[in-house]
This record gives sequence, structure tokens and C-alpha cells, in this order.
Amino acid sequence: MSLALTEVGYRYAGATATALEGVSLRVEPGQVIGVVGPNDAGKSTLCLVSAGLAPGSIGGRLEGSVLLDGTETRELKPYEAAQRCGILFQNPATQQSGTASTVFEEIAFGPRNLGLALAEVVERVEEALAVLGISGLIARDPHRLSGGEAQLVALASVIAMRPGALVLDEPTSQLDPAGTRLVGDAIAHLATTLGTAILIVEHKTSLLARLAQEVVVLDAGRIVARGAAATVLDAPDLAAHGVRAPEAVSIRRALELSGLGDRVAAADLEVLGA
Amino acid sequence: MALASAAIAFAVREWSGPLAILALVVATASIARLGRPLLKFALATIPLVASILLVNTFLFPGATDVLVRIGPFAATGTGLIAAFQATLRVVAFALSVAVFSLTTPTDDLLSDLERRGLGRRAIFIIGSAIGTIPRMVERAAEIIDAQRARGLDTEGSPSRRARGLVPLAGPMISGALSEVEERSMALEARGFSAPARRTTLRLLPDSPTQRAARWLIVLATIVLVAASLTGLVRLP
Amino acid sequence: MGGQFSTRVITLIPVAIAINIVLGYTVQTVLKLPIYLDSIGTILVGVLAGPLAGALTGALSNIIWQYTPGIGGGAIGAFWVVAAVIGLLAGIWGRLGVYRSRPASGTQLLLAAIVAAGLVILLVLPIVNNKTYLDPSVGGFPDWAVPAAITIAVIAAVVVAGFTYLRRDLAGLWVAAAGVITGLIAAAVSAPISAYVFGGVTGSGTDLIVAALRQGGSDVLSASLGQGFFSDPIDKTITSFVVFIILTGLSPRIVARFPNGDRLVRAEAIA
Repeated sequence: MSLALTEVGYRYAGATATALEGVSLRVEPGQVIGVVGPNDAGKSTLCLVSAGLAPGSIGGRLEGSVLLDGTETRELKPYEAAQRCGILFQNPATQQSGTASTVFEEIAFGPRNLGLALAEVVERVEEALAVLGISGLIARDPHRLSGGEAQLVALASVIAMRPGALVLDEPTSQLDPAGTRLVGDAIAHLATTLGTAILIVEHKTSLLARLAQEVVVLDAGRIVARGAAATVLDAPDLAAHGVRAPEAVSIRRALELSGLGDRVAAADLEVLGA
Repeated sequence: MALASAAIAFAVREWSGPLAILALVVATASIARLGRPLLKFALATIPLVASILLVNTFLFPGATDVLVRIGPFAATGTGLIAAFQATLRVVAFALSVAVFSLTTPTDDLLSDLERRGLGRRAIFIIGSAIGTIPRMVERAAEIIDAQRARGLDTEGSPSRRARGLVPLAGPMISGALSEVEERSMALEARGFSAPARRTTLRLLPDSPTQRAARWLIVLATIVLVAASLTGLVRLP
Repeated sequence: MGGQFSTRVITLIPVAIAINIVLGYTVQTVLKLPIYLDSIGTILVGVLAGPLAGALTGALSNIIWQYTPGIGGGAIGAFWVVAAVIGLLAGIWGRLGVYRSRPASGTQLLLAAIVAAGLVILLVLPIVNNKTYLDPSVGGFPDWAVPAAITIAVIAAVVVAGFTYLRRDLAGLWVAAAGVITGLIAAAVSAPISAYVFGGVTGSGTDLIVAALRQGGSDVLSASLGQGFFSDPIDKTITSFVVFIILTGLSPRIVARFPNGDRLVRAEAIA
């Protein structure tokens, strides 16, 4: 399933300034596209628009076309959009229903809301856990999980809705390095195994260097650069848009500046993900 | 059943109603070995009971059968009786609810209510509120401790205690409210507003006897309350 | 699924209920102040989402409080009607735009601030003037009942007037008025419950006032009413102001998404 935005503009309810303007982008099944940009660039807005929550749940004015598997989001109710495109936020705690005593119940929350037969609910929960490799958490108390585990449970809850596309708004920003790695691996796995179309907003450009095929730079509501991940993340004017280049790139530049560039083998830098 | 007994405790005036309920409650509690937790609930009613006893005994308006005089205050017999009745009512009520809350796991209660059609929004509100309270109490305790370290007075004069209120309420409220928007979007992403009938996860065992007993209790409650309120039947 | 009970409102209500219970318990038990402060959540929901949502929040708060192990007990649950009424009124005030900012300056503002403070102080006068209150009360409590009442009233008046003036916002006056009216109605509704069920006392700090009134010869109902007519308006006025402060602290963007949003935010306020 694909996610396609064409000439999308968006303005929040009652606001005079536009949050997004002329945004066009397309994510194919199995593809991971990264989004970077300074604060207030409209990255979170882009996520809400792509998932159909804007204008569906928060109002506002949408221009252009947002197609989820061929259907316009403005024609979808929030619960219908949720089954086509899932969304994950940065805070693992606020994404828990708060009413489940086990991870199983937590993940079952979504399918149950759809009124599916009990057998199918169980099947979806087990499948979501298996895809993310966290079947061992099934009986744990959701309130006692580590940040990374909780975020994965939140991801499983969203996947249980069987969306073809997924939007992630800085999913690792509140996690420690271990949690970040967990979530990063899970995302890569989703794209390759389930063929989910993934749009991920991140400040950790090193993570994007590893996961994304393409990267888009958003600034003041517009796309100012796009292309293959390696190219975009290596661009010299990245910092001008308030984005920090991946460590590997910074290291390489520092080495070049100090004249040691040719001493370090290209292969070594590849290991770093440059 | 507990709800019925609570209603009876209140509506039936004079002595017999509350006394009977109290006996029932204590009996149930001992069967279920609930002694200690029940005691905690009972202790919570002490300030109320003390107030009731004192104010009613000494200050019952219009009573003249004086028992004892302490300074300008006169304890009256009528007052004492009224005090005891009120106390019994309150204690019976509080303990009935206590037994109910101690014997019924929240999860099961909510699950069953939902199955009977209460609606996912109501269930969510109740379940979420009950779950949020302990977490907020913890947060409040943390804030109080942090403020105490900075000099907040919880024992001093009223005005000092009042001043300590803002540093407590502020962070607690803003912290809780800031999450509401994201929480509601997460709920939408999990299909919360879908129109379908929510799938039931667990089924509580029920039997014809239990069902019959329930109907009987409801009927009895209605009859007793009506009889007492309309004065048809005079109970001691 | 929309109207007064949209998903957003459904998410807000449990948080409001928890705020009611935790704050109310802390104020009454830990800080031991003679006010309730257990309606902040109720009024907040009423103002943001409407009368029905507010009433539900109030009613559920009392019922759940009664039922919670550890801090439950007493007889809070019986007063669910009062809490529901408070929520209902808050919804009406919200719809009427009472909580909308009304910038002003100069004499108009000064006048509003003074009237607002006056309203609050006015409520203390009957207490202070009535000799009955000045007699030492029952139960071994020291004589801090009256000074405490005056302190609270003065603090409330200063907050109300200061807020109205410093924020250059006429809404302060309307919020104060709404709080006083809500308090009076709440007192009127809770007095009969209190009088019948408990013989006029509720186990909180306000009982001293009831005791004092009784001594003066009032009957149970009037004593409850008398106590209520002091504590409730003060408490509800303070609470209404707290809610107003909270509202002004919230991003207008977010407030606009609630059912009463358009009555609470001025159009130009949103960036």
C-alpha cells in the first residue's frame, strides 16, 4: 500500500499562517523515507496529515491530495484512516490505553474496537508481537516496561490495525541507545517483511542513514531538498536547515579538514554508515 | 448486592435498617477475610463520625432532656440518639461500599458492565480514571517531597499551608493536561471511535441462582426504601 | 462520535476526575485546609466541553472517590448531585463565554478589579459580623476558624483583583461572579443532603462553622446552609479562577479543538 501526497497545504484551525505548503511526496510499499528539518518546520504536521488525523480529528484546512492506497484521507473517518495508515508518537507512556493489565490486552485494544471476532483479535495480537520479535512480552504489565519495550508495544498496537503505511514522529527521541536500536531494527524489519510504506521523522540522522532509502528536508512547511539518503545527509548546507549530519559524516569531514582524509579507508567509513 | 445494602442503609430511618446492614456487612467481611482492609475504610470515617457525634449530641436544637453539662454546652438525650443514628447510617453506608470495592476486582466489574452494554466510552473513562489516580498520587507525593526540601510547610499555620498549594497543584495539573491531546490521537489511531460493538475478552461465570438472587435483592430494596420513605411501615 | 463526547473529551475526563480526587484529598487530608478544592477538574471539563460532560465528570469523581481503596470512605459519594450541578453550571458559563479573555485597560479595568475583590470580601462579612462565630467552637479545635476564613477570603480577593488588573482582562470579573453564583447554588444543593444524612456535618474543616451556627440556635438545615454559603462560594470562586488561569496557560490551538472552543478563544489569539 502506498502513501501519496500531492501539492499538500495545511493550516491549523483558526490559524492564519500555513503549516505546510506545496508538499508532494510518495512512499512506495516497503520503502522507508526519512524527514528532517528544524523545529517548527511542520514535520509533526506532516505526520498528522499523512495519517489522516488532520483534518479528520483536529480540524483545519487541507489543500491538495493525500492518498492512502488510492483513497483521499478527507473522505475517511479517523478509525478508517487508522486501518490504512498507523502513527507512532515519541512518548511511549501517552500511547498506552491505560486500561490494560497485560501487553496482550493493550495490543488487543485496537482490534477489539473494530468489533472483530475474538479469534481474529488473538491472531492479530500474536502476529504483531511476532513481527516485532517481542512475543515474550505478552503477559507483562504495560506500565512496567522499559522505554524501548513500551514503544515497541505501542508500535505493535498500531500494527494490529493492519495498516499498509506507517508514520513515525520522532519515535526514538525519548529512548536510550538500547531502545533506539530496538525500535530501529523493528522498523527496518517491518519494511522488508510486511512491505509497509514508512515515513519517519527523526533528529537522529545516523538512524535515518541506516534505515531510509530517501530523505526529505522540510523547512518552514516546504520541502527544500530531497534525494537518496546518502546524498542528502552529506549535503554541506544541511546545517543551514537546522539539521545535524550523521556522526560518520561529521567525522569524515573533520578528518578531511585535518588532512587525514586519505589515510582512512573508505571501507572503514562504510562501517560507520557514512 | 452491596449497592442495595448501601441504599437501604441510607433510606431506612431509625435504628433497624442501618443495624441490620451493618451486621450483614461485618458478616460478609469476616467470611471473605477482609478484616484489615475494611478497618482502614472504617478509620477513614472517624473524622466524620466524631463530628457527627459531637455536634449532634451537644447542639441538637430544641432538645431539653439534658444529660450532662460541660461549660456552656449541654448534651441532650435526643441529640445523642440522633447522633448515633446518623453515625450508624454513615458507617453502614461507607462500609457497604468498602466491601463492594474490596470484593470486586475493577477489571472484572468493568468487563462485565461493558459486556452488558455500558458503552466503551463510559468504560474507558472509569477504567482510566481509576488507573490514573494511583499514578497521580505518586506524582503528588513526589512534588510535595520536592517542595518540602525547598521549605514547604505542611504543618504550620493555615496561611503557610495555603501558600504551599500552588507549587503543588501547578506542576501536577499542567503535567496531566499536556498529555491529553496526544493521548486522544493515540486512541483514534487505535480505532476508538469505530461504531462497531467492542469484542468481549472475558466472560464471568453466572448462574440462574445468582441471577434470581440479584432480582430478589433489587425488588426487596425498592420495597423497603419506598415503605420507609412513605411512612407506610414503621420500623423501630 | 462527536459533540460533547468526542474522543478528545473522553480522554480529558479521566484526567479531570483524577485531578479532582487527588487534589481534593491532598488539600483536605494532608494540608488540612478548610476548603475543598475538589472541583477543579469538574469545572475545567464543563467549561471546555459543555454541561453534560461537566456534570458527568463531577458525578463520577464523587462516586469513584468513595470507592477508591486507601482514600475512599467517609460519605463523599452521597454528594454526587452537588458535583454534577457544579459541572452543569460550568458548562453553561463556558457556553456563555464567561471564560473568554476580554482585554481592557485604564479605569474600566481598575473598576472591574475592585468590584471583583469586593464580591469576594462581601462573603466574609456575614461571618465576621455574626457574634456566634466568634465563640470558641466545639471539639477542641483552637480559634483559628475565623482567622483562617478571613485569610482565605483575603487571599482569594487579592488573587482575583490582582489577576484581573495585571492581566488587563475583564474576564476576571465575570469568572469571579460565575464562581460566586456556582458556590451559592452548590451550597443550596448540598445543604439538604448534609442535613438529612449527617445531621449537618461532613467531616471536613467546615464543620466548625456548622457547629458555631448551631450554637446560635439555627436548626440543622439552616446551619448547613449557613456554612455552605460561606465555604462554597469562596471555594468555587478560587476554583473558577484556577480553571481560568489553566485555560489561559493552554495553547489556543488546543483549546479551539474542544466543543466550547470557539467561545473561549478570541479569533486573533491563534497564531
